[in-house]
Formats: sequence, structure tokens, C-alpha cells
Amino acid sequence: MYFLGFLVRRLAQGALIVLLVSLLIFTLLRVVPGDPVRLMVGGMAPDSVVQEASERLGLNQPIPLQFGRYLLRLIHGDMGESFVRPANGASVGGSTFDDPSRAERASVLGLVGQTLPLTLQLAALAFVFALLIGVPLGIAGGLHAGRWPDKLAFYAGSVFVSLPNFWLGIVLTILLSVQLGWIPSIGYQGFVYTVLPALVLAVEMAPFILRTLTVSVAQVMNEPFIDAGAVRGIGRRQMVWRHALRNASVPLLNLFGIQLSGLLGGVLVVEYIFDYPGLGLLTVNAVLQRDFPLIQGIAVLTSAIFVLINIVVDLIAATIDPRLES
Amino acid sequence: MQDQPVLLDVQHLSIETTGAGRGSAATRRTLIDDVTLQLAERRVVGVIGESGAGKTVLARALAGWLPDGLAVRAGHVRYKGREVVGPALQGREIGYIGADPTRALDPTVPIGPQIAEKLRAVQLRVGAAEAREKVLALLAAVRIPAPQKRYLEYPFQFSGGMMQRVMIADALIGDPALLIADNITQPLDVTVAAQILRLLRELVEQFGTGVVFVSASLPMASEVADELVVLQSGRVIERGEPGHLVRAPAEPYTRDLVLKIPEIWTSKASAIARSAPVARSDAPILNVQHVSKIYRVRDRTAFNRVHEVRAVRDVSFTVSRGESVGIVGESGCGKSTLTRMLTWLETPDSGSIEFDGRDLRALTARQLRALRPQFQLLLQDPYNALPAGRTIGEIIGEPLAIHRLARGREARERVLQVMHEVGLPVGQVDELPVSMSAGQRQRINIARALVLEPKLMVLDETLSSLDQVEQSRLLGLFERLYQQHGLTYVYISHDLAMVRRVCSRVAVMYLGEVVELATNEALFRDPGHPYSRALLSAIPTLEPHPFDARQCLLEGEPPSPIDLPVGCGFANRCPRAEARCRERSPEAVQRGPQSYARCFMAEALYPEMAQ
Amino acid sequence: MSEILSAPLGEPARLPAAAQPASAYRSVPHRILARAAATWEFRIGLAVFVGVLLVTVLYPWISGLDPAKAAVSMRFKPPMPADGASWAHALGTDQLGRDMLVRSLIGLRYSLAIGVASVLLMFGVGCTLGLVAGYRGGRPGALIMRVTDAQLSIPMIILAITVLGVSRPTVPAIVLVLSLSGWPLYARVARSAALAESKRESVRGARILGASDLRILLTMIGPAVLPPIAFVAVLDIARMMIFEAILGFLGLGVQPPTPSFGSIIADGRKYLINAWWIATMPGAFLLVSLTSINLMGAALERARNAVLKGA
Repeated sequence: MYFLGFLVRRLAQGALIVLLVSLLIFTLLRVVPGDPVRLMVGGMAPDSVVQEASERLGLNQPIPLQFGRYLLRLIHGDMGESFVRPANGASVGGSTFDDPSRAERASVLGLVGQTLPLTLQLAALAFVFALLIGVPLGIAGGLHAGRWPDKLAFYAGSVFVSLPNFWLGIVLTILLSVQLGWIPSIGYQGFVYTVLPALVLAVEMAPFILRTLTVSVAQVMNEPFIDAGAVRGIGRRQMVWRHALRNASVPLLNLFGIQLSGLLGGVLVVEYIFDYPGLGLLTVNAVLQRDFPLIQGIAVLTSAIFVLINIVVDLIAATIDPRLES
Repeated sequence: MQDQPVLLDVQHLSIETTGAGRGSAATRRTLIDDVTLQLAERRVVGVIGESGAGKTVLARALAGWLPDGLAVRAGHVRYKGREVVGPALQGREIGYIGADPTRALDPTVPIGPQIAEKLRAVQLRVGAAEAREKVLALLAAVRIPAPQKRYLEYPFQFSGGMMQRVMIADALIGDPALLIADNITQPLDVTVAAQILRLLRELVEQFGTGVVFVSASLPMASEVADELVVLQSGRVIERGEPGHLVRAPAEPYTRDLVLKIPEIWTSKASAIARSAPVARSDAPILNVQHVSKIYRVRDRTAFNRVHEVRAVRDVSFTVSRGESVGIVGESGCGKSTLTRMLTWLETPDSGSIEFDGRDLRALTARQLRALRPQFQLLLQDPYNALPAGRTIGEIIGEPLAIHRLARGREARERVLQVMHEVGLPVGQVDELPVSMSAGQRQRINIARALVLEPKLMVLDETLSSLDQVEQSRLLGLFERLYQQHGLTYVYISHDLAMVRRVCSRVAVMYLGEVVELATNEALFRDPGHPYSRALLSAIPTLEPHPFDARQCLLEGEPPSPIDLPVGCGFANRCPRAEARCRERSPEAVQRGPQSYARCFMAEALYPEMAQ
Repeated sequence: MSEILSAPLGEPARLPAAAQPASAYRSVPHRILARAAATWEFRIGLAVFVGVLLVTVLYPWISGLDPAKAAVSMRFKPPMPADGASWAHALGTDQLGRDMLVRSLIGLRYSLAIGVASVLLMFGVGCTLGLVAGYRGGRPGALIMRVTDAQLSIPMIILAITVLGVSRPTVPAIVLVLSLSGWPLYARVARSAALAESKRESVRGARILGASDLRILLTMIGPAVLPPIAFVAVLDIARMMIFEAILGFLGLGVQPPTPSFGSIIADGRKYLINAWWIATMPGAFLLVSLTSINLMGAALERARNAVLKGA
């Protein structure tokens, strides 16, 4: 009964947030200087063509009206079509005089559907790597606060967080790909192409895990109930593994939700560097090409995913620590 | 005593800090010095001492659980002949209950499984189902109602008293022969503590354990112990049977300890200068009429419902000029909420509060601000109530600046004058209050309020964190201030002994209501409400009890304020409850002028007592 | 029994200092700083950072090299200690013969300036809103928190690319976009700290004395809440510098010919195989600078946690 109430409330809030976000992006795109239509038909196109294209795409109508129509179509599951990309996949636009808006455009939903799985794959692998790096060292640092594992975690975290991800990508490419030839880097022709980008992302995520875990594990170990375990007859090992870690994971979960949007930024850049055909690369190109519907669709989708992930994370945290149910 | 087998044998025990990490032997401190004591089965030894005497160190040493940085330098602690140190005995033969029950278990795991976990850790062959059965049985033995349901509840869902019972169950689950109870009643309310003590005695009988009862409260230890050991600075000063020790203490320190316990029941106890409320014909300085406050808390189990917490229910009383009125009650009774409303930090949902004839609700913000200097509030915590980083002079002078009453030299004059009045060394006016004691800090608080020349002072547990000596001194100060300025006092407190000393009239609160209002003498002689009676019976005291706790208080805890039952709120713990008590809420029965009790069975007092 | 009335009235109580140590009073910020400064991590970070600063200020002036001046004869010189290198161009030269070290240093100037400016803006706006939300609460507080929630769900990189990708990125615009990405976190932290601080007895006492809300905010809550947050803001300087470098890499940062780390490295990608140092040396330099800032910042964060929660 409680669960249902919580879910309904959070979903309602989430829907509101998604709405706000899409409105914001929608407005921003149309308000910021620069003309998308001109970008599409080419800088050389005569004004009449621009005018006509603009009318057909509905870009000359007042913004609230445009947004209303967009929402209506959205509810029917139609995210519209890309301004720029034709159905056959290639990306067009540029300086030639052309009116690509006449040809059949790729559907936004379709484009997203193609690229999302790859990005999810990248994110999952990066997550695994980050946990492998961060969790053992973080726990060790917390259990031995002040001594060398802690210091190692501290320095490692500080260095990792100072590495610009694009630079690390370049360096790793030079080392592992060019010089040693172990792993391929650019593009995608198989799962192994995910490894290098995932590694760069993992280095970006790891410091957060390290920092949070060392602090929360150390804090929990200072709690009275850990100490009390000894006099109650429960061995220290059992106290640590069954109780301390459980308590320490909650702050990690809590902060994870906040970190999420920063992580997306990393995904964007990493996919761009490695030419990894995921949602991030799609986004970067869409923005640079002023492909409104695509940008809009991606924004709506990503904020929806964020909202869902946040809800899931909160649920898991509340399951572990029932005091959070408020 | 000698025919019982010896459980615990402590011989010439000395414990010191190891100074680990600093590397210098010169900084070692001796915390326990040559302590010898013995405990037999089914006996209770009480160890008493003031704070800093080393009680907890000793308790932990007896359990073999010395914290890091401490080590046994000489002597030994033997349990049934075996050395105690080490994990072999803990949780099994020796159980330990500490002073902070709410933080003794993992907050993210339900209590039942945690106790079961402990059982299976100390007795390896116990299976899961069997463990659960044993835990349920023990939860019932410590009188936790509905053990099946509470088995799966989390520590934060238990009140302090209930959690202490859980920890007692946890200590007993390993079938120990020895229990170490370290200050177990310290954080608890008086009536709850009385119940826990009673429970402890019954368990000792039932299970035959020996108990070392460590406490800072001499009266409390005397009630449970067969033998008392007095500890001072780590040394045993005196030992003996409680009655004997109290009547004829041999050592001066013990004599001092006994003297410091305030008397409550003798007629001298309320020999305050103004014991009788002065009959006033003019308007009261504070007039509280039918004040109520409800908090709305979201109901977590439903989507959009709220719980109503009725923190204060229909409270009415008046305070005449120059009186000293006490408002007493245990935690959850609503006195803090009432205090906030008395000083208009929160507004009542219904009812009115008049100060000096003016209805506070009718004032504008500006008028209220202008009126504030006249009724001031003093808080409990002397350390946190003072803003950090300011000198004494600045702290005391700030109210003058806020209300623009004085500036520059004139302000400083007033600050110095008021410092002198409250007994603060005037030379320290430009220093930070860092090294000051609790008592001195409270004086700063008092000075800060006094500089505004108030007519009414509300003291919210102001003296609760001070020791007896400081309390006496400050009470004397209040008396003098009354004589010089005609101040009126309202004391909010849970400390009945203090209220007995200084208040001319007392209001007893329970679950948001004033269940009894009476003169000092009348309340302590012949309380009209069963709760007042229960409260008085639970006060730990060295004198003979006029009220027997066993007869005044039943098992059980106050009902949750969210879920107030119909009828009298005390009915579930009242030994005299009848059917009608559970059906209707009792009205106030007058027992004298300005005295009443909300109970169907309250009879009118002897008329001369009421005056 | 109890000597109530016989106790000496109103005497200055000469009681032994019971609980507080009689050491000099040190304010919370002072303690945090002192504790951090005692660690090796902080000291190393500080030393390296000061060194970097000195080089940044002095080297371009001393060496007399012009970061924008192309010298085709000097192109593609490798960094030390490869052969063909010289001390005059310690980090090598790029495809136009420009000295890498000087370009990196100029880039660092902009990087630092943008980083510090954006953090100041984030801190100012975020903390003000957070303080008000935390102390006052109620409707405005809830509204502010909803706004932060909403903004935290927008991937900032999308916003940044959107705004900067369509108009010419000027330094103020970059600072603005960067600040937008970070203020919600400050608002949240400031709010929860203000909330906790508002519950203190001293605040209650001040309100009873009749102090106005503004007075309490300015004299009590602000000074208690802001310094610990300010210390940890150091970490954000590094974060913003990376963010700026990323934007530069994508072509959305400080525009050429002004050197910026991102654009230098982006340019250098073309020459990865032959002149790998163009892309990597500036990054290494940035890495060292950022690590020093992060070491200091993390040490401050730890000190803050220790002082606030341990004490």
C-alpha cells in the first residue's frame, strides 16, 4: 500500500519534470539565434525555399502552439522525424543547395532505437569497470582509514578526476591501439570496440565511487552498533560484511542519482572521440546540425530515463535502509 | 552470601590508558585503580559514582570489552575462574547492556533477525526456526507487546524504553549467567525507567543471573542492588548494603553523595520562601485558555492521507504576577510544544494566550517584536544556545541592539550591570565564553534575557543539564532576582525534585493535556490524578516512598499521539481504570481553588490543603 | 539536606572548566583550513599549484615566445627528451611552429579564469537560494527545490552544446553555461546545511530575543554554513576547467586564435601518428595542474567532514 503511493507520487513528479525539460529545450532551440531551416536547405538557398520549408515544418508559428502540437503527437508515440537525416541513414546538409525536407525523413524514434542499445552496452560495461576499480579500493580505504589503502584511494581518486576524458581517450588510443595494437578504438565493428570507450568512462566514474565509499565506510565503522557487535558475540568479519557494507552503500546510492547527468556528458564526449555510434554521438551531431525533432526526442527520452533511474535508485535505497521511507 | 558460588571475581584491578600512538609513557592515565569486588549468582551489585569516576570503563572491563587505548595494568577479572578478556565469553556467558539502546543495533535490519543472528553466532548449532522461536519467547519475557509483529520492526520504530527492553532480550538470549547493566536507565523517562528496573528484578529471579548494575543515580541503584560499591576517580571508596550505606555512610565522599540527593517527601523540602501563591485580584500575567495544536504528518502508508498529531490538547491555566509555576511531564507530553506557543514561536491552532492582558494573536509582527523583551525564554543547552565566536559582552548586548534600546556607552553600562547581577565576573566582558562551565554559560543566557528587563521568564529545562550544586546556586539567583525585580517564573521540567523545591503551583502534562493542576504541597501529598501518582511513585529517592510504584503503574507505554484512543489517555497503564475511562474523556474535577484533576475518580481535597 | 537558600547567592562561580578545553577559540573555517594544511596531500597539491601558477605568470614573459606567432621553420619539434628537441621549446612545437608550452600556459590562464569565475557565480547564486530555501522553507523553499530537481535531470552537456553550438561562444557565455550546470548542487547543499543550522538552540534563542530573519541569516546561519561549502568549491574549479576543456574540444569553447586546452588537443588529433605530442602534452600539463587543485580540494573536503562531523 505504501509502495503504491510512493510510486504514483514519484511518477507524477517525474512526468512533470519530463514536461518541464522538454518545454525548456523546445523553447531554447527556437529562441537561440541561428536559423535551422537555413542550415538544412543550405546557406545558398533562395529565400522563397527557406520560407516554404519553414512553413511546412511549422517553424513560423508561435512557440506555445508548436509545443502543443508536439505534445499531442508525443502522446500518440510519435516523436516526429529528423529534420536532417533521410530514411536511408546518411546525414545530409551543408552548403549545397538542396531541399532535403522533401525526401523521406528518418523517424526520431527509429534513430533513437538504433543507437540506444549501443549506448546502454557502453554504459553497462563502463559501470562494471568502474565498480571493479572503485569498490575494492574504496572499501579497503574505508576499513583502514588513515593508512595506506585510504591514501592510495585518495590519490588515485584525485588523479582520475583530473584526467580530461577526451585526453585520456587519445592517450589510450595511442598506447593501446596505435602503438601496441591490442584493442581497436574507432567506430564499431563488434563488442571489443566498446572496451576502450568504457574504460575511459570508468575512469571518470571511479573517483566518485572511491570518495563516497571511503568516507561512508569509515563513518559506518565508527557507529556504536559496529563496536557493540563485539560484546554481543558477533565476530568483526561478520559485522563488516553483513552490516557495515550494507549501511555504507546507502550514501553511495543516494549520490548516484545526482551524478547521473554528469555521466551522460561523459558518454557524449567519449562516443564523439571514439566515433562510437551510440546515442551520445547522435546527440552531438543532432545539436550541431540543429536537428530539432531529434534533439527534442533525445531530451525527452533521456530525462525520462533519468527520472526512472532515480526512482529505482530511491526504491533500492529505501529497501536497504527503511528509515528513508519518507 | 558466601554460600552462593562466585560468578565474578575482580581482584585489585587497575586499568590505564596505553598512550598508543603517542609513544610517551608519561601521558598514561590510570582510570581504574585497585578495584576489588565479587558477585555471586542471583545477586545484584550496584556500582555508583559520578561522571568521570570510571564506571563505564569498569563495566566494559568486566565484560572483557575494553576499548582500544586502554589496557589492564594489574590485577584480574575472572568469571567462574576463567579470565574474561577475549571473545570466548562475550555474548555467551556474559551479557552487556549499554546506555544507548537506540544505536546499539544495525538500523537497517529488523531487530528480531539481529537478535537471532547473535544467538546463532554464539550457539552454533541453533537453526533458523529455532532461533526465531527463542527470540519471540524472550521478547515476550521482557514484556514487549505483540512480539510477533515487533519481531520484524526496525530500531527506529521503537521508543527508548522499548528499545532498552529489546537490548535486554538481546543480552539474555545467549543464556548468560552474568549481566552487566551500564547506565541502562539514564536516557529514559522516570516512569519508563521504573518499569525497566522492575523488569530487571523479575528477570534476575526468573533466570537466576547475577547483575552488575552501574549507575550515576544512587537512589536508583539502591532500589535494585543487594550490595553497593561507591567509585570515585577509579577507586572503591566504600561498599556495603544500600540501606546501611545511606543511613550511616562511613566515608565523607559517600556522605556528600547522599546529601546531594534532594529530599522530596519531607515537609522541609518545599520550604521555599514563597510557598503559598499570593492571592491576586489583579489580572494574571499569563492567561492560557483552551490552547490546542495539531501537527500534520504525512501518512506514509497511504497515498494522500495525513496523520494528525495532537501535540497539545485544550490546555488552560493562568499565572499570577510573582508566582513560580512548574509544568512537568515526560517526553511526548507536549510541554515543548506548549513552551513554543507560550513564547509565540508557534501559534496555537485554537485557543488564546494573553500576556499582561494583551492577546498575542491580535498583535501585528511589529507589536509582537516590541513586546518580546517582556517575556523571555531560557533554553536548556548552555553550550549550543550561545552563538559561536562572540564575546560575552556582545552576546549580552545583542538584545539591546536588536530592540534598539540602548547603544554605545549606555549599552555597555547595562551589560556590565546585569553581569554583576547574575554573578558573572565583570572583567571577562570582552572574552569569549570558551572555557566557561555549564553553570556560567547559563548565567550568560540569563543575563542576556535579563538585560531586556522582562516581567516573565519561561525556563525550558534550563537547569536540567546542571549538577545539583550549580542548580542550587542558580535557583538562589532566581530567588534574588524575584526579590529585586518581581519576576514571574514558569518552569518547564521533567525533574520533579527541582519543581518540588521552587514551584508554588504545578501542572502535570500527559499526552498533550494538563491532567492535573495543583499547589506544590497538594500535588505531592495527595495527587488527584493516577498519572501524577505514578510519576511521583517512580521518582528515584532514598526516602521511604509514600507511593508504591508497583501499585501505581502498570506495564505499557503511552499510546502514540497519532493514534489517541477514545477516553482517558492514561487508561491502558492505570491501575484504577474502569470501563467509563475508556469510553469518555474525563472532565476536570475541581479539587480546590485553581486545582483540578482530569479523572473520574478524583475527589475534592481537604479544603485547607488547597490553600 | 539541600542547602538551597544557604548557598552563596550571586557569587561569581569559580567552577573548574568542566567540559570545554581551555584552548584558544578557533572558528570553524580556521579549523578546517588548519586540519587540511596539516596533511601531506594538501601540501603537495599546494606546492605544485603554486609552482604551476608561477610558471604561468612568468614563463611567457621570460621566454619571450609568442603563442600565436607561427614560425614555419620550427614546426613539429618534439618535446624533451626526444632527439631534435631543444630547451627553447621544452614541450615541442605544433604544426605551425608555435611553442606548445607557452600555448598551454596561456590556455591555462583562460582555463583558470573561466573556472574560478563560473564557480564564484555558481556559489553565489546557488548558496543564496539554498540558504533562503533552507531557513525559510515553505512554498518558496519547495519551489526552489523543484527547480533544482528539474535542472539536475537535464544533462548539462546538452544544454551547453545547445546554447553554445548555435551562437558564437564568448567567455561570458561560457562562464554562464558552466555556472548553470553547477548551481543546483550548491543550492541543495546550502539548503540542508541551513536547515540543520536553523534548528540550533542559538537560532531559537535569537528569534525569542526578537531578532529578525534577515539578521539571523546574515549573522548566524550564513557564517556557519558558507565557509565549509566554499572550501569544497575548490574541487569544482577543477571540474569546471575540465568542462571548459571538453567544450573547447567540441569546438564550443574559447575560439581560436586564443589557445585553449580543448581546441589545441582537438587540433592535435590530426597529427596523432606523427606528432603525438601536440595532442598529449597540453593534456599532461592540464592533468598536473588539475591534480594539484584536486589534491587540495579533496584534502579540504576531508578536513571539513572531520571538523563538522567529528567535532
